[in-house]
This record gives sequence, structure tokens and C-alpha cells, in this order.
Amino acid sequence: MALVSDYLDPGCVASGLDASSSTEAITTLVGLLAGAGKLKDERKLLGDVLARERLTPTGLEEGCAVPHAQSDALESTAIAVATFKNPVDFGAPDGRGATLVFLLAGPKNCAGLHLKLLSKLARFMHDPAFRDAAKAARDTDALTSLIRERDE
Amino acid sequence: MKLLVFVLNKEEYMEDVLEAYVEAGVAGATILDSEGMGRFLAYEVPIFADFKEFMKGNKPYNKTILSVIRNEAVVEKLKRLVDEVVGGLDNPGTGIMFTIPVDWSTGLVREEEEV
Repeated sequence: MALVSDYLDPGCVASGLDASSSTEAITTLVGLLAGAGKLKDERKLLGDVLARERLTPTGLEEGCAVPHAQSDALESTAIAVATFKNPVDFGAPDGRGATLVFLLAGPKNCAGLHLKLLSKLARFMHDPAFRDAAKAARDTDALTSLIRERDE
Repeated sequence: MKLLVFVLNKEEYMEDVLEAYVEAGVAGATILDSEGMGRFLAYEVPIFADFKEFMKGNKPYNKTILSVIRNEAVVEKLKRLVDEVVGGLDNPGTGIMFTIPVDWSTGLVREEEEV
């Protein structure tokens, strides 16, 4: 079974960020992946995630979002996650902005894995206990630990 | 007694499949309109919207046929006839057929009245 932790580099976890828009939040998350050396082409991935976001927004209810894309900008699947101080509008059905945002990026030839991880992340965020604890995580270590625990 | 469940993805074979049911000796069945998980996710759940392309070629809608079978030999005969109609259930995307034991029922056509 695919584990989120297997694709989440500790350097791609951030907490307490600021973003005034979903584009800014996504740019920051893509930057985390680039900083961890996960990308061949940062601009390409940013463009692909934003294009996917224009198709239908990826905001979930209760202040969460999962922007994602399959892209030629990377060779293997990678995840970044961040909490935001203020809600960021991701077009969620309940109208609430997201303060917990996972970015999932994978190569185009890994649709099966992408679907599994996307489903798993959505399930994580439908779990009130995980969701609330993740949003309240005091730092990146605490957020990483929560994800590892929820993965098991 | 068994519940026979058949999810037929190739709806164009529906008429021929039901003829096979009658020929095999299935006295009655209930037909449900159903849909594949992929279609539902891609069209009804926004975060999966980009997988519409991925499911292209899969049949979005299907028919589910439920029937209670008293004589297990009917299942074997039906399987053979349905295989002939749809070109083999082993081919991916054609359909799924399985049985489940039934330990109680009421309201069925009486055995002596079955075709």
C-alpha cells in the first residue's frame, strides 16, 4: 500500500506560512519540492499544477486542499505539505479557505500511484482528528510525525 | 440456492445476455442501472476531475443483473452462454459474474412455475 511518508521529504514540510492566494500557496509548495531537489523543471510543474487547478479547484471542505498534477517536470512522485496562518481560497465547496494544503506531483506515467496517493490524502483530510491536529501542529517535526502516524 | 450477480459493462449485449439467461433456465432477474467507480470519481468528485482522460475507453455505465438460482447447473450453463455472447468474460472490461450463497428468501417464483 502506498504510504504518503514514502513520498514526503522532511524538507518539503512547512508550517505557519503566509499566502494571499492559491497561486501563491502553490508556488510556495512547488518551491519546497524544488528546494529538495525533486524537480527537473520548477516552472513547468508550477504551470501544470495551476492548469490543473483551473480545471476544477482542489479545495476540500473544512479548510483543506490538495492541489496536484501529473507532469513531465519530475521523474518520480513527490509530496509537499504546509499549514498556512490564514485561510487561502482554493474554491472549496463549503467556501472555507484552506490552512492545510498538500501538493502531490507525479510523472505522467504513474497514474495508478497518483490516484492511490490522492485518495489517501483526501481520506486523511476527511478525518477530523488528523485534520485538526495537523492544522494545530506547532512545527514541521510535529506535522511530519502526525502524517507518519496516520500512514500506519 | 445462490444469488447470481452479473455486472455487464458492454450494455450493447444486454438483449443477447437476457436471452442467454432465459435459455439457461433463469426464471427471473432484476436489472439495475449502475456506474463504474472511475466515472463517479472523475465526474462527481472535483479533486479527481483530471482523471477523465485516464478512464477513457472504460465503460462509464453498466447494468447489474441480480437473480436467485436454485439449480447450480444453471450457473455453469449460463456462464457458457454468456461467454459466447460477450466474447469471453475473461477479457478485461467485459463484465464480472459471481455468486453468493442465499440462506433465506421469500417472494420468489415457485419452482414448479419456473420456465
